[in-house]
Amino acid sequence: MGDNPISPQAPRRFALLRALLLTAACAALIGFAVFSIEARPALGQDATPIPAEEPAVAPSQTLTDSAALTESAPAQSTLPQFTGVPAGGQISAPDQACRLCHGDSTDTKTLPSGELLQVGIDLAVLENSVHGSHAIAAIFCTDCHQPRQRYQFPHAENPAQTRHDFQTEIAASCQSCHVSIELHNPGHLQAQRAGTNENLPTCTDCHGGHDVGAVATMYSDPVGYCQSCHAIADMEEPQVKFAHEQFVGKLSADKNCQTCHSDQVQTQSQQCANCHGLLDTSAERTMEDGTIETLNLNVNAHDVIMSVHGDRMIDGVQYPALECTECHSDMGENGFPHPPDLLVNRAQLRTSVEVNCVRCHEDVGNQAADGIHAERAAEGELNAASCADCHGSHLILQPNVPRTRISDTCGTCHEDVYTQYRTSVHGSALYGRNNPDVPVCTDCHGAHQIDDPGTAAFRLSSPEMCGDCHGDEELMAKYDISTNVFQSYVSDFHGQTVTLFEHNSPNEPTNKAVCYDCHGVHDIQSISDASEEEIQARLLITCQKCHPNANENFPSSWMSHYEPSLEHYPIVYLVSLFYKILIPTVLGGFLLFIGSDIFRRQSDRFLRRREAKRGKKSDTNPKNDAGDAGDVGE
Amino acid sequence: MTVAESRSTEVTGKRDPADLALAPTLPNAVAHSEEELDEHILRFPIPDRIEHIITIVSFTVLATTGLPQMYSTWPPMQAAIGAMGGIETIRIVHRVAASVLILASIWHIAVMGYKIYVKRVRMTMLPGWDDVVHAVQALGYNFRITRNPPRMGKFNFMEKAEYWALVWGTGVMMVTGYMLWNPIATTRLLPGSIIPVARMAHGLEAVLAVLSILTWHMYHVHLKRFNKSMFTGYISREEMEEEHQLELELHDEGKARPMARNKENKRRRARIYVPIAGAITALLFVATFYFLTFEQTAITTVPPSSDASISVPLTPTPPQVQ
Repeated sequence: MGDNPISPQAPRRFALLRALLLTAACAALIGFAVFSIEARPALGQDATPIPAEEPAVAPSQTLTDSAALTESAPAQSTLPQFTGVPAGGQISAPDQACRLCHGDSTDTKTLPSGELLQVGIDLAVLENSVHGSHAIAAIFCTDCHQPRQRYQFPHAENPAQTRHDFQTEIAASCQSCHVSIELHNPGHLQAQRAGTNENLPTCTDCHGGHDVGAVATMYSDPVGYCQSCHAIADMEEPQVKFAHEQFVGKLSADKNCQTCHSDQVQTQSQQCANCHGLLDTSAERTMEDGTIETLNLNVNAHDVIMSVHGDRMIDGVQYPALECTECHSDMGENGFPHPPDLLVNRAQLRTSVEVNCVRCHEDVGNQAADGIHAERAAEGELNAASCADCHGSHLILQPNVPRTRISDTCGTCHEDVYTQYRTSVHGSALYGRNNPDVPVCTDCHGAHQIDDPGTAAFRLSSPEMCGDCHGDEELMAKYDISTNVFQSYVSDFHGQTVTLFEHNSPNEPTNKAVCYDCHGVHDIQSISDASEEEIQARLLITCQKCHPNANENFPSSWMSHYEPSLEHYPIVYLVSLFYKILIPTVLGGFLLFIGSDIFRRQSDRFLRRREAKRGKKSDTNPKNDAGDAGDVGE
Repeated sequence: MTVAESRSTEVTGKRDPADLALAPTLPNAVAHSEEELDEHILRFPIPDRIEHIITIVSFTVLATTGLPQMYSTWPPMQAAIGAMGGIETIRIVHRVAASVLILASIWHIAVMGYKIYVKRVRMTMLPGWDDVVHAVQALGYNFRITRNPPRMGKFNFMEKAEYWALVWGTGVMMVTGYMLWNPIATTRLLPGSIIPVARMAHGLEAVLAVLSILTWHMYHVHLKRFNKSMFTGYISREEMEEEHQLELELHDEGKARPMARNKENKRRRARIYVPIAGAITALLFVATFYFLTFEQTAITTVPPSSDASISVPLTPTPPQVQ
């Protein structure tokens, strides 16, 4: 640099004056620099490596006071802002000389590192850049290529050892005007200050040098821009790589790297939402045990707001929406980016999610822990439902609004049963007429503490379950259904046996019929539409399930929940009536005779004693019959 | 003879002199041993006593295992069933006891046939108009309407009532019990509604039987006086005088013995009866076991509750239900 002769157009008077002045200034500065170890940090930030020659005090005509700049440029500003107006206008075309030499050069300079620097610049490119003639104020070469003194014609060799050194030095002068650099791209700057990475980009690596672009221009391919250094393939941490594989390339026009890697202060939930709002809904994830699971990593932050976990009032206390880390606390502890979930398999994934719920919902959590789903999960059934499988994860809504939602939820896994239920007398009333009385899945099976319906205990207690509704006078009156069904069942052979089993050995299986053996489990049908013959025919098929040798006479041995009467099963009624008359009659006769016998014996005894008192011998009375009185009690 | 006579006089000192006067004139009084005439008269030979014990045991077991089933909704009965080993256990016990009673009944019929046809005993248990008269007389006597108690035979109306009640009851219980035991076979021949009829009758007849035993039988043979004759076989003259005067007279006259006097004829009848009755009895025994075990009423497994597959595998995080 600086070998070219000065342009003949340069005013000599000024040149001479400036030469004198600058020579003096240089001498003074060099002397000062000997005692200076480090330059004053431009904006109070930590040591950005700045060449030792840099003047401690920036030239007053080109730099506005940094404190004033900070005030004029609020720290909250979102984008790098142009805040300083170089006062270069006082001197006309101070970089005329620079342009003369560098404007048409094709020379290159080889740095000590071996890298090449282009000496020449394309003035047209500079002109069209944001620092060109469209700038709010004129920007001169030495506004960026500082220290200014070094570049006074004919300037000395640039001391940069590497291209990076050269660019770092120039980047330092960006901060003269662009104070929001403090916030801008904190990742790069933090790493730069920490000095852990020598290959960090400088401002010009991203924004360009002489072709420095408008931000919009730069953002035409912002992702590609970043990826020129941050190639996904080079990412080391597996979950970081995984995440970027998921969404890089699928970003919509309004999203880019900075959507997540923002220069703004973000809440933790925002940070979570940044990535998880973009992640795939069905991402293939290899678990530790080698299985590949399809996971929904996509979270719509809005879902949580809309869910029961959004802003809510409980017992008069207003609670704000849950933050992500209130549930995903293990993530919150580690901050962004979180470490990978080391999940062995789906069972562990399930547990890792469930503990989040149980932290607050302890009671239902404990209930669920006793239920069949937890039991199956403990046995290793990976498909057993966890909290989120039924309630959802982020968009958790009232599970019973509308009421069909309950059965729909169960139906997502239990489809066969669900299909049967929908066509049953209960299900069709629920879905067809929005009937609030018919049972949904949870009314029989429970919501959290779901018992295994295959156990003897469940079987034995099932009639009482049915009886809860079918014994309710008020409820059944609405549908003209007899409430006698439970009692008539219990008083018959099947119900009697089942009741006794339930009472005496609730865990012992019995094959005696319970309600659902005859009426069906989920496909319970109404009999109201069927004719008597149809009912009998159906009944025979039902009976033959357990009584394979039964013929068509057999079904009527079951009184079909009727109480015997003259109308239904009259012979049973009459036999009952016969005995209800016979038993009191016979017993009454017996007791009458026994009573009379006792009376005779006691009265005889009494008479005999009285006579004995009178000194009379009983055997002197010829009328007293032999043996009768004397035998009583002796 | 003289000793017996004098003792008899002592014991029956209060007897009507007219009755007493008959005794010395009995032509066949020598038919008894002196002891029998003395105090105790044979009432139940050993086979009868064995039958009675079998009946006691089976009846008690049947009642104990049956009534709790009848009243199984009452918690104490449930506890009783539990204590006895559960409903399925007591059902088996009930059926075993029932089988015993059925076999005892068949045996009883065979023995009765032998006694009547071969030994030509008097049919002292047959009910008759006399029994009605006796019952009325007894009531009248007890209420001090009539002066004298009825003069009754070997089995008085109270005993006949009990015996025939047992016959009737056992018959009803066997028929209805068989129906309940084999409902499939029953409904092949009869309408299905016969089963609840049988169930109703079986239970109520049992109540009647048990209550009868607890009142009638309990009073007459335990409370009024403990009548040990069913266990010892012998009844005292005193008891005979009180309730079986006519029989005592026949006994003292020597007319209480079986009527079969001709041993040759008896042997001939036995040769006819024993093979036939033996074969029929044996056949009935076998038939009983056959009928009580031949039906497979129900499957022995728990019926399948649902034909729907319980779980249709789901995606890891199922789509949320909106």
